[in-house]
Amino acid sequence: MFSGLREKVGQVLVPGDEFSLEVQETLSLTEPLKPEKVLLGPGLKRRGDRKLLVVKSGVLRHKQPHVFWVENHQRRYVPAKGETIIGIITVKSGDVFKLDFGGSEQASLSYLAFEGATKRNRPNVQVGDLVFAQFIVANQHMEPELVCVDSAGRANGLGVFGAGGLLFSVSLGLVRRLLRPRSDVLSDLQKLFPCELVVGMNGRLWVKASSVQQTLIICNLLQSCETMTTAQRQQLFRRAAQGAL
Amino acid sequence: MKDTPLSNCERDFLLKAIEEKKRLDGRQTYDYRKMKITFGTDYGCCFVDLGKTRVMAQVSGELVAPKENRPNEGIMFFNIELSPMASPAFEQGRQSELSVKLNRQLERCLRNSKCIDTESLCVVSGEKVWQIRVDVHMLNHDGNLMDAASIAAITALCHFKRPDVGIQGDEVTVYSPEERDPIPLSIYHMPISVSFSFFQQGTYLLVDPCEREERVMDGLLMIAMNKHREICSIQSSGGIMLLKEQVMRCSKIASVKVSEITELISKALENDKRARKAGGRCGFAESMPQERITALKTDETSVEMTDASERANDIVENAEVPPQTVPSPVVPAPGVGQVGQGLQNTWGLEEEEDGDEEEEEQQMEEEQDEKEDSREGDVVEISDSEEEEVVILHPETQDKSSKNAASSSNQKGAETSKQRQKK
Amino acid sequence: MMEVCGSTNVSLREFGCEQTLLSRPDGSASFVQGDTSVMAAVYGPAEVKVSKEIYDRATLEVLIQPKVGLPSVRERSQEQCVRETCEASLLLTLHPRSSLTLVLQLIHDDGSRLACFLNAACMALMDAGLPMSCLFCGVTCAINTDSEIITDPTAAQEKESRALMTFAIDSKEQRVMMSYTKGSFSVHELQQCIAVSQKASENIFQFYRDSVSRRYSKNL
Repeated sequence: MFSGLREKVGQVLVPGDEFSLEVQETLSLTEPLKPEKVLLGPGLKRRGDRKLLVVKSGVLRHKQPHVFWVENHQRRYVPAKGETIIGIITVKSGDVFKLDFGGSEQASLSYLAFEGATKRNRPNVQVGDLVFAQFIVANQHMEPELVCVDSAGRANGLGVFGAGGLLFSVSLGLVRRLLRPRSDVLSDLQKLFPCELVVGMNGRLWVKASSVQQTLIICNLLQSCETMTTAQRQQLFRRAAQGAL
Repeated sequence: MKDTPLSNCERDFLLKAIEEKKRLDGRQTYDYRKMKITFGTDYGCCFVDLGKTRVMAQVSGELVAPKENRPNEGIMFFNIELSPMASPAFEQGRQSELSVKLNRQLERCLRNSKCIDTESLCVVSGEKVWQIRVDVHMLNHDGNLMDAASIAAITALCHFKRPDVGIQGDEVTVYSPEERDPIPLSIYHMPISVSFSFFQQGTYLLVDPCEREERVMDGLLMIAMNKHREICSIQSSGGIMLLKEQVMRCSKIASVKVSEITELISKALENDKRARKAGGRCGFAESMPQERITALKTDETSVEMTDASERANDIVENAEVPPQTVPSPVVPAPGVGQVGQGLQNTWGLEEEEDGDEEEEEQQMEEEQDEKEDSREGDVVEISDSEEEEVVILHPETQDKSSKNAASSSNQKGAETSKQRQKK
Repeated sequence: MMEVCGSTNVSLREFGCEQTLLSRPDGSASFVQGDTSVMAAVYGPAEVKVSKEIYDRATLEVLIQPKVGLPSVRERSQEQCVRETCEASLLLTLHPRSSLTLVLQLIHDDGSRLACFLNAACMALMDAGLPMSCLFCGVTCAINTDSEIITDPTAAQEKESRALMTFAIDSKEQRVMMSYTKGSFSVHELQQCIAVSQKASENIFQFYRDSVSRRYSKNL
């Protein structure tokens, strides 16, 4: 059905490119008709009944069995439900904290949304602290809401953190590459120094290594490997490991 | 737009790193970031890249009347624009505190140090002098805007050439660049500002702070110096208290840096002069880096025109003739003009009374006109109540438009006056 | 009716563009046409002031900074043209109650400035990853005293022209999104210029595609 899309996987598309759905000319009489499903990721939108429109410029990617999306070098984050991000507390008022996560408005985080928090036992959070949280409400019409617990009530890695490390920004594409199941960037990094790394899908990374120098090295490496090919990046990491930097 | 707030952990980490004499990008405490100076196509346009901070300066000149208390001197005008492009925190139009501070510092650095010979800018004493205007635009804010702005401003002034002027008796002729070569400004010395940022109440010092370092600093010391080791301006802000030795040390560092930067500026000016003499094209277009994947250039391309003219001819021939939208005005009665037919009045009955009132006014006006115009003894009845003569137009169409209402009240006036005439 | 001779020497000056050249904005681009160069920067979707927010769409603000002096009426009218074109091609309903700011800085003016603003704006919007339903480009045509059509005129050619027109053309069906004209011309000449601009826009769109492909060439 969407063979037009499949052909273009791996090519660069610009906004305004359209794909139209072809109707199957021949129907098989013996096999049952399987409805085909296509999942559209960022950068692709449905126009009318049978047309797909590309709305962002980038490379078309495909994941089996039927997910398509456009990958680009965007820097601005748009909140989506279920994503984990690093936010900075800006306002602590009454029952609700306001966080800045780099989007078009500030998200709210209730003080009860921490593990073990009750009305008497408030979490120890100050203005300016870093919080690793997950979106439960994130659409364009409503104010985004974050929580620091999962559905079972456990922290599961979420919550306040940050003493001693360095926070910096990278593009959203690099963050997704780091979070892939078998990420090459991450495996290269693991061979380098032992370090603690928190990856926020809003483009923010937090690193803590055993010394200030090592933390700075990792920070600079990650910021510069955005525009490098695999070979260049591996060479750079190797040089860093040998202590040249 | 608000800028991202600074988190506590960033602040703590930066201060800890500075205590260990480590900077975010691996520089030493007295190192400047990589500086690049390029020029634009016309004289007086200069770009300065200080690391990621980008600044553009443009110098322009025009002839104006001089100030009353200084009739022999030209006028220098400085303007720093914090363009909203440079940072999300900069807003258009509003004079923020930072903008006022930078403008004032640049003025003190360049104007009060008398680095330009303003008397040579005088053309006719007391009547015409050159006003040299320096506009500095911030394009990207990654810290240390003041240094970048001062380097850009002085380099642009060195690069600028003003049109040549000829004086014959009372006549002043300004020659265009094609007629006579333009003349550079006479510059005595080049003041350049160097910024020092202080942390932990003056214990630690960094030269050329980047944007994050600027956010955690306690205070800033700005020393403007020229390569002859003369201090042109010195300013300390932020309320830190500095010892005399610290200020002396800073001035020594500044003199070293200033001589390096002056070297760089002279080299850049030399390169540009050579390139222009060789006749090559120079400017922003040429300085675009070719080998980066984010840049692309193509050559002059021609446009395929084969079927364009036929297509245009087709469109014109097949188009309908536009309707006569503006009919010529008709004068049904003296003092009354009518353009077009207007539409039917679509107002309800109650609103017609309002229309009637308008009509009454118009009718009274028209009556007066008629009275003036009629020379013969036409007896014109003037009755107080006009209501018998009012013609109520029944609405037939459904569309309402206030414009039509206005024209229909005119229409009504015209029609009633027409009826009058017929009587 | 004034005759326009079928010109065969219509050409566009050299183009160049660079993307992501500034580190602070979300998207930035510089566009060069001959000697005319413009830098564009985009921030968004970001916070919007309550007085300017629109409940169902993003608020697009366009700012044009001239090189010398403060922005004047001319810049305001060009901002209006650019803003209308961008609003027609951006999908603003995806980001209600947020602000998109587009800042255009003129670096050097050697003719065709409005077209250069439009091209730089389109590249910067693409660079920022804002959702667009189509691309747009700007083409300027001048009719000189010999009734010849010149595309992409220089400042000297613009001064001697009888009429000057700038069109914004979209990428899907090559239709005119915005037009800005100065001077007197006949209906036939207008249609000729539109046809020429549509043809020229094909070159520009191909250039956009090439730059974007080059940009992502390392990721493939």
